Amino acid sequence: MSATPGGGSRGRRRRFGDALRMLARSPRRALFTAAGVLLAAAMLSAAVVITDGLGGGFARASARADLGDLIIRFDPESARTVAAKLAALPDVSGFALRSEITSVGVRFGAHRSGTAVAEVLGPGRRQGFAVVAGHRLPAGGAPDVLVETAWAQAWGIAIGDELDVRGLGPERVVGYAEGPDDVGYPLGAPRFYLTRAQLVARFGIPTVGPVNFAEVWLRDPRLVDEVLVQARDESYGLRGLKFSTRAGVQVLISQAAGLVIDLLVALSVIALVTAAVMLGAAARAEVQRRLRSIGIRRALGAGRWALAAGQGLEVALVAVPAATVGTLAGFLATHGASGRLLSLLNEPAPGAGLILPLLGSWALSVAVPVLGAAWPAWRVTRGPVIGLLRGTDVATSRPRFPWPARGGGGLTGLGVRLVAARPARLVATVAMLASSTAFILLMIALAGTLSSLETDPQELGKRYELTAAAPAAAAARIARLPGVAAAEPRYELTAVDAYELGELVDVVAYPRQLSRFEAPPLAAGRRPHGADQAEVGVGLADALGLAPGSALLLELPSGRQLDLRVSGTVNSLAYEGLVAYLPAAVLLRADPAAPEQIAVLLAPRASTATVSAEMRRIGFPPTLTAGAVARGAPLVAVLTTILRAVAVLDGLVCLYALLQACALTVQERRSTVAVLRACGASPGAIARLLSGAVVTLIAPAAALGVLAEAWLLGPALARLAAGYASLDLAPTRVDVLAVLAGLALAGAIAVWAVTRRALAEPVLAGLAR
Amino acid sequence: MAVIEARGLVKAVGTGRAARRVLSGVNLSVDAGEVVAVLGRSGSGKSTLLHLLGGLDPPDEGEITIAGERLTGARARAQDRIRLGHIGFVFQQFQLIDELSGRENVLVPTRLPGAPAGGVRRAEALIDELGLRAVAAHRPHELSGGEQQRFAIARALVNDPEVILADEPTGSLDAANGATVLELLAHMTGRAVLLVTHEPEAAAIADRVLTLEDGELVGAGAGAQRR
Ligand SMILES: Nc1ncnc2c1ncn2[C@@H]1O[C@H](COP(=O)(O)OP(=O)(O)O)[C@@H](O)[C@H]1O
Ligand SMILES: [Mg+2]
Repeated sequence: MSATPGGGSRGRRRRFGDALRMLARSPRRALFTAAGVLLAAAMLSAAVVITDGLGGGFARASARADLGDLIIRFDPESARTVAAKLAALPDVSGFALRSEITSVGVRFGAHRSGTAVAEVLGPGRRQGFAVVAGHRLPAGGAPDVLVETAWAQAWGIAIGDELDVRGLGPERVVGYAEGPDDVGYPLGAPRFYLTRAQLVARFGIPTVGPVNFAEVWLRDPRLVDEVLVQARDESYGLRGLKFSTRAGVQVLISQAAGLVIDLLVALSVIALVTAAVMLGAAARAEVQRRLRSIGIRRALGAGRWALAAGQGLEVALVAVPAATVGTLAGFLATHGASGRLLSLLNEPAPGAGLILPLLGSWALSVAVPVLGAAWPAWRVTRGPVIGLLRGTDVATSRPRFPWPARGGGGLTGLGVRLVAARPARLVATVAMLASSTAFILLMIALAGTLSSLETDPQELGKRYELTAAAPAAAAARIARLPGVAAAEPRYELTAVDAYELGELVDVVAYPRQLSRFEAPPLAAGRRPHGADQAEVGVGLADALGLAPGSALLLELPSGRQLDLRVSGTVNSLAYEGLVAYLPAAVLLRADPAAPEQIAVLLAPRASTATVSAEMRRIGFPPTLTAGAVARGAPLVAVLTTILRAVAVLDGLVCLYALLQACALTVQERRSTVAVLRACGASPGAIARLLSGAVVTLIAPAAALGVLAEAWLLGPALARLAAGYASLDLAPTRVDVLAVLAGLALAGAIAVWAVTRRALAEPVLAGLAR
Repeated sequence: MAVIEARGLVKAVGTGRAARRVLSGVNLSVDAGEVVAVLGRSGSGKSTLLHLLGGLDPPDEGEITIAGERLTGARARAQDRIRLGHIGFVFQQFQLIDELSGRENVLVPTRLPGAPAGGVRRAEALIDELGLRAVAAHRPHELSGGEQQRFAIARALVNDPEVILADEPTGSLDAANGATVLELLAHMTGRAVLLVTHEPEAAAIADRVLTLEDGELVGAGAGAQRR
């Protein structure tokens, strides 16, 4: 600072004024800089919101809930026995026992569910879930419950409201609870908490009874693996044991979030680097233009630092407000959705913890362009002042096309060469466009897959469109209706695996044409042939260790057993893959009263509405076949919102990168453009030149992007998707074409806008030396 | 027949109080096959005049006709077309495009939309004629100043224009190369050549020498100093 003439506050104020004047002189340039900084900042803050939200969500939730280090589920057993076993484990600092009751009927207003989970709590303050609103459950026998936040939000349950629980009557909601070891409603079952003391007081049951759930805290959580081994040994007598550790839950959650986070961070970093490269190049062109004036000021005694600071200040004046708006925009675009996602996962939003990372991303979005702008001025003033006064080129390396000149001097080819003359910028821009293309393609594929899971029964292997509650005998009548290709009775019931009595298995059967009505993709083996054969979902095969050829013994609700042989395994999303498909004759032999309905397959191009009307007419009103993830719809919606927000930002960054790359080319090579115009080039000719430049950027980016999605991102995400089903994350040809068309459109906009801008400049301005 | 026809050209530069009339009523008529030199001190407005005649800058007043087509008042596209088909520029700084070889630079005007046919053939002929064959594949930075200017002249001629406008074409060259370039300009049969220079030697090749003084062309009488 000491080298600055007129240092101190007066000098600083003057520099500030200078910078403002310079900005006012070229408002378009300032606007462009602002746009770049804004987009990069928005991208960065969106990444911060999502990364911090998802990445830190579980840690925050488990800290707040004081989640146990070890969670054990088992078949109901006396609390005294379990407590004795737990007390015998080493390093245990405490444990909580509860009874988890599933399939509880609940009603609130017009809402009702038969699959709620009641957590009946034993004594103790430490329970492994957080009370996030209202107050804790009182010790006495009052009919008070805590309900899970996500469920309360979905049903609009307020604190103080009464929830009707089947068998208990009205229960007063005294607070909201969140337990991070499970996901919230509607991803999971509706969950509420009550004390055993309440049941004791109301029904006179013993104070100590059976429990099926234990949460264990260790003195040293690092010893969890050792304790786990001990627990397995000590747990003789307990049946149906399932252990999970806090670390295990976390790995599961962070793995899923990991890829999305990595992708976003990579994308936003590339966006920032691209913006910095562009702004740096613009700054260099600007310094080049002001070389003489910089030389004069240098000759008058201005320090290098002051000159560089002046350039930086000019950009800072634009970057500070732009980064502020951008950071806020990125935050607003993703914050709501990210919060909703977290609440579905029973995890708290980061709240004030987000401020510091956001400030950091804001500072980065200001610092990078400011340094990018100051650097060329710092560099150019390195040499002797006289060189500046003569107007010596800043860049000793004049932009040149690196390969031998060949061809006929066509305009498109010239455009290619002008862009290729700046390899660093070319690489940054192509990388930016390619990763954006890949990301957008992935999101389209993901959204497509998710929403087809939601609406398209075929995704689950269900090929029939309608079902009707009707006796098997009605199948023939329905099959004769116009627009119906086939109708067959479909039998479905829930059985239990007869060896372990642990897994519930959904059994589906058809008399004749199983694979015509329901054919999830075969994973191994073959379709069932013969009376005792069945195909099973991969989920069931994994759970029971089944392979083609294995025996499968199922116990039906009727008490009869089904002795089956596995012919093959199929990728079915239904019932988490815990499903077996078999011929109806086998099922009916064991259980003649198996529940039946009629599955209806429509003829090609027949409308569901017409066929439905026909079926209603003959007395069998049908229902549309529903997908399995109807419960996952809110998750899909939230994910899609997040992905869409990022995609829109991403698309804008692409457009900016293309615009800026074109504008810089024209700015740096204004004499080339001027010579062309002096030779009589029409606007179309200049557009052709720029098209060459844009195609050089877009073509490799499109190819790389499509390949990266097809070979890297898509398979990586599909691998992370639930193991019991195969998600095909390949975008359709239409998707690919749409994204490429979008890229081409962005390119066309860039060519059009920059051509207009180039033609607005007088030819003479470009020719002047 | 006059290929360049200019009447009452007025041009002021700068704005506000700094505004100054550089040209104040210039009349000029140059025939096909005629080489006219315009002399004048530095800053007298020679380049400005050339830019007006080439349609790179509009005059404040006056009319310009090139090869029978009205330049003044024409739409931008029409002006582009006139430059493409009827005018060739030669600049003091050569203004070759760095990324293109000498030959490709010559070909550029033939590749512009609307360029007359036969450009490639003329380009090859010009490269041979101007003795540039051996260096045709070189880039501008690998060429001497004289070679660069010869490529620039070939580029100006490649679309076979009626008018050549040369602004200090020898200004950046040594004496020997300058002489070669002047020789070339002197022998452009059938074209109107307007050569702007502040070097009196350059005027020696001209059929007619005019001087720009105080915004007016002196010695610009009809047919004065005709060969
Ligand atoms: N864009 C401009 N703005 C202000 N003054 C200009 C501009 N262009 C040229 N001039 C001035 O006009 C005068 C004539 O310039 P020019 O035609 O280039 O002269 P010459 O070519 O004879 O040296 C000079 O004084 C020059 O400074
Ligand atoms: Mg001049």
